[in-house]
Amino acid sequence: MAMTSPDTAGFSPRRRFEGTRDIWRRLPITAKIGALMLLFWILTVLTVSFWPLADPLAMVGRRLQPPSTANWLGTDALGRDVFARTMYGAVWSIPIAVVVVACAVLIGSTLGALAGFFGGWSDSIIMRLVDVTVSFPPILLAMAVAAVLGPGLANASIAMVIVWWPIYARLMRAQVLEKRENEHVEAAVAGGAGSLRVLGVHILPLCWAPTLINATMDFGQVVLLAASLSFIGLGATPPSPEWGSMISEGATKFYSWWIAFGPGMAILSVVLATSFLGDGLRDVFDRRSA
Amino acid sequence: MTYHPRKGLAALLLAGSALIAPPALAQDSDTLVIARSMDVNSLDPSRAFCDTCQFYLTAVYETLVTLAPDNQSLVPNLAESWEVNDDFTEFTFMLKDATFADGSPVEASDVVWTFNRLKNVKGSPSFLMDGLTGAEAVDAKTVKFTVDAPNSEFLNKVSAPYTGIINAEVAEANGAVSDETAAEADKAEPWFLANSAGSGPFQLASYSPEAELRLARNDSYYGEAPAFSEVVVTQIQDAVSQAQALETGQVDIAMQIDPDTAQSIRSGDVTTEVIPSYNFVYIGFIPGAKGMDGKLTAEVRDALASAIDYDGMLDFTVGGNGEKQAAPIPNGFPGTAGLTPRSQDVEKAKKVLADAGLSDLKLVAGYPNDNVYGVDFNIMMQKVQQDFAAIGVELELKPLTWAVWRDELGAGEWPVTAIYYAPDYYGSGQYVAYFGMIEGFPWVGRASVGKPELVVNPAEADLYAKALASSGDDADAAYQELGEAMMEDAIIIPLVAPNLVLAYRNDIAGVRYSACCNLPLAEITRN
Repeated sequence: MAMTSPDTAGFSPRRRFEGTRDIWRRLPITAKIGALMLLFWILTVLTVSFWPLADPLAMVGRRLQPPSTANWLGTDALGRDVFARTMYGAVWSIPIAVVVVACAVLIGSTLGALAGFFGGWSDSIIMRLVDVTVSFPPILLAMAVAAVLGPGLANASIAMVIVWWPIYARLMRAQVLEKRENEHVEAAVAGGAGSLRVLGVHILPLCWAPTLINATMDFGQVVLLAASLSFIGLGATPPSPEWGSMISEGATKFYSWWIAFGPGMAILSVVLATSFLGDGLRDVFDRRSA
Repeated sequence: MTYHPRKGLAALLLAGSALIAPPALAQDSDTLVIARSMDVNSLDPSRAFCDTCQFYLTAVYETLVTLAPDNQSLVPNLAESWEVNDDFTEFTFMLKDATFADGSPVEASDVVWTFNRLKNVKGSPSFLMDGLTGAEAVDAKTVKFTVDAPNSEFLNKVSAPYTGIINAEVAEANGAVSDETAAEADKAEPWFLANSAGSGPFQLASYSPEAELRLARNDSYYGEAPAFSEVVVTQIQDAVSQAQALETGQVDIAMQIDPDTAQSIRSGDVTTEVIPSYNFVYIGFIPGAKGMDGKLTAEVRDALASAIDYDGMLDFTVGGNGEKQAAPIPNGFPGTAGLTPRSQDVEKAKKVLADAGLSDLKLVAGYPNDNVYGVDFNIMMQKVQQDFAAIGVELELKPLTWAVWRDELGAGEWPVTAIYYAPDYYGSGQYVAYFGMIEGFPWVGRASVGKPELVVNPAEADLYAKALASSGDDADAAYQELGEAMMEDAIIIPLVAPNLVLAYRNDIAGVRYSACCNLPLAEITRN
């Protein structure tokens, strides 16, 4: 008699996967708008250098000129085109957010999964580290780390990963703790599967939905934090057209409102887009909290 | 403590009503309200060193001599007359009959005590007393100072607000010490944050850091009483908020409005005057910085200075509201009349760099991320970056916090920096003492990072001694030569001397800019 592994019967993780088209159909309209806005920014990042825009670092006109047909969002204190700088700003802000969220998810989820699965002293050490990190206000911790490392986008990114990974560690640990008790896991263990195989094949595929939802929403928050760090002078260094540093330049020339308007709207649209999309994804994947 | 919800609600309502109440706080009252971002490091005359300190100390303490409104000539203050010996080494002051706020007379012993304390306490302004070898009370109303080498600028130094005379008896009773042990033994600095002991027209009423500095009229002032019974300096951080407070009448005077913001003020109740100042911003080269290995020679520094578009700089940093400046001595100070500011020469700069084999030079500029005298350093340095790029030099910008900037400057982390300077009194010697390439002087240390032979210019020490041993036209000529020598050094490259905006309500009169004392409060009146 052939032994059939119980997890191939009713608990196959693959059954939870749904077609992309199916997901799109079930997304609320706001989430679809969010997805399109995000797609716009991603396309901007990939193609902006082919657009017929002014050089974002070059002087193109008189300083502090209000919006006109030549300069749609006016010029800044060095006579550079604010619209071009806003569009090029995406090249700085969006990839940073991708890298920071990806690193935070990778580091946080790995540690969280290990903590949740093995328990014991590894759980204690990792989760105390998480507690210590989250007990600092995030912006303060990021500022402290960035101040120690010195200004620059690379350092600001490291600072943001340090602030962000604990969220994913907690999230993943909770998921793993819950799924570890499932019968199919017990069956896999009984069937002689090694720890890493049980974790990697039987548990993790069931845990990715909350992380994905959170990562989507955090994407906008990371853009915002990166801009905040640049605003106070700890992120991008001049002359890079990073949104936060552009707003910082606009803040000292308050009556020339257009300098801060472009990057401000850009940040707003990214944060809004990811919030909409994250909410929608939660509705689709995580029905309990919807 | 128990929480009373009703009381909390009442407090909230009260706070709310304060917000919507008409903002007519300043007009028609006996109180003068000034908006300023305060940079107070101390209110102790011997330790304070800041722009806010300049006008606070002037209002509360009095110097022996002071600067006339022409910002050049010295006029009597506590001293009614003075004598200087022929070689500028002995200075004798005759005091007039004046009293401190507590009614006791201002005597020679107070003056001697004050100057000794300034020298011995080793605070930020103590360098003003470098070279002072003796202070002696000849009689109750006569003081004689002796300096170790001829110093024709000593009189001017005595007009700096940090030399304001302190009531020795009162200060000593509160922990102040003036002898050689003062650096450690003097414990009076906290007392000076809440009290004052001067003879000026005002007294300190209260000071809360980052919030408010309140002065009250000295009712027993021996001279002409000031027009206001109270002066409040209120902390308002940025130029735009200061302008708004001025337009709504919350404040009478706003001290730090930049020319761009001044142009946007539309209220008919506000007067703005744009006047030249003696402040300037500059970039400094640091040939001793890490990785430079003798690349930044005087020719290369001069070539880099020739790459800068000084007219454009003036436009981009202050919208044209400023002046170009030749040497690191402000326009209008002794010896500057004959100096010609640098001009841009891209071809020459390229050629010098090519001859030196530095066509692909890469430099890093570290500077404080700040906005000073209306100049945003980030904007200014981006302009320098563009100008350097035009001659093929790549300049990487590192905006830093003040603390990090100071550390890295001392360690020679980068070869270019940017910073600003404001005078403490009228006289060109203070600039040589700070920027001159003379062994042991501050900027030699900064620029050479321990290798003074890279930058020291031996001719300057002799010229400086000559300038201090002479006065009038001879001193002017020596300072002009010093200015030319410092331009050849090409260590300090002044970029802009920003204009200053005096902004005040129309009913206020007597607002002026003083090179020693910033804003003389006692002269201000309300019509």
